[in-house]
Amino acid sequence: MITVNLEPDGAVIELHRTRSVIAALNKLKLRSTMAIVVRDGELLTADRSLKPGDTIMVRKVTSAG
Amino acid sequence: MKCTRCKKLACVSLPSHHSGFCKDCYPLFFTRQVETAIRREKMFTHDERILVALSGGKDSLALMLELKLQGYDVTGLHIDLGIPNSSDKARAKVETFCDSHELELQVLEMEKQGLPIPDIKKHINRPVCAVCGKIKRHHFNRIAREGGFDALATGHNLDDEVARLFANTLRWDTAYLSDQGPNLPAAEGFVRKVKPLFRLSEFETANYAFLKGIEIHSDPCPYASGASFTHHKELWGELEFRSPGQKFQFYHGFLKRGKQAFAAMERESGVELFPCEECGSPTSAGLCSVCRIKETVRESKAKDEASQG
Repeated sequence: MITVNLEPDGAVIELHRTRSVIAALNKLKLRSTMAIVVRDGELLTADRSLKPGDTIMVRKVTSAG
Repeated sequence: MKCTRCKKLACVSLPSHHSGFCKDCYPLFFTRQVETAIRREKMFTHDERILVALSGGKDSLALMLELKLQGYDVTGLHIDLGIPNSSDKARAKVETFCDSHELELQVLEMEKQGLPIPDIKKHINRPVCAVCGKIKRHHFNRIAREGGFDALATGHNLDDEVARLFANTLRWDTAYLSDQGPNLPAAEGFVRKVKPLFRLSEFETANYAFLKGIEIHSDPCPYASGASFTHHKELWGELEFRSPGQKFQFYHGFLKRGKQAFAAMERESGVELFPCEECGSPTSAGLCSVCRIKETVRESKAKDEASQG
């Protein structure tokens, strides 16, 4: 299971059977250039793998203008 | 994915540039894009004083830091809108950021101007975001003019510009289409306005802000739900995913081939501007729109007080 801290919404989401950043973004209905993804302070590209127990921060980048 | 520049593990992938960058090389990419924007659009020089509008979001803070790192003479301006549980947080982020990077900051409080945004929401029968934007632009320009700054820089990025161009095109708003661009020269009481981040997407700015450790104010404005601007950005996000580089092509093509036609139309039908009788800002009416809003709020509040008393 992967734990996602979604910003700026402040929601915490649990994702099952999710093995990559792109899979996590797909489940969150986000394209890879619509959010930055961070694990342990490191930015991740969409092709990076995730492992069970990982906690990632997904910060949507769209501002209201 | 490997860094295009040094072949280490990439942390940012940029499909529109067919590139990826590691944490050390990415800020260089960002710097080059800002340098190119300033140079090609002749925005300002190192001898000029730049006022940077700071909202507390990623774009304005990233812009301020990058311009300082490039050696420009920058001063920040934050407008405290007076919105409960929101404006104080944004202001704190801006003040902390400027303190930690030893950046000069001016703060304008709308409460002290007699026009906090909650009063606009209560007393003005128009979309609050439109009025708030108008008021901010008015004060940014006024303070830049009165402070003798050579240019006003804002953190508008490629997504902001594309969403605005798209909205203006949907309405065929020739007045707005005639002067949209990354460098609006000074004229008739208006200071020069520049957008040094116009070549960079929100995603690119967000990565830069994160890698530079910038603490941003990311809470949405409590008054801004459902703005059409956000929907347009979502539409364009999908288009960009299917055809990387489309946003830049749309905007760049407009600047090169579309804007002149609208500017020519506007020269024929444009209105003449005069100083506002109250504040001196340029306007086509006797009183500028912000002074008229102020007057309406004052009258509405007085009416409320009279009915209560």
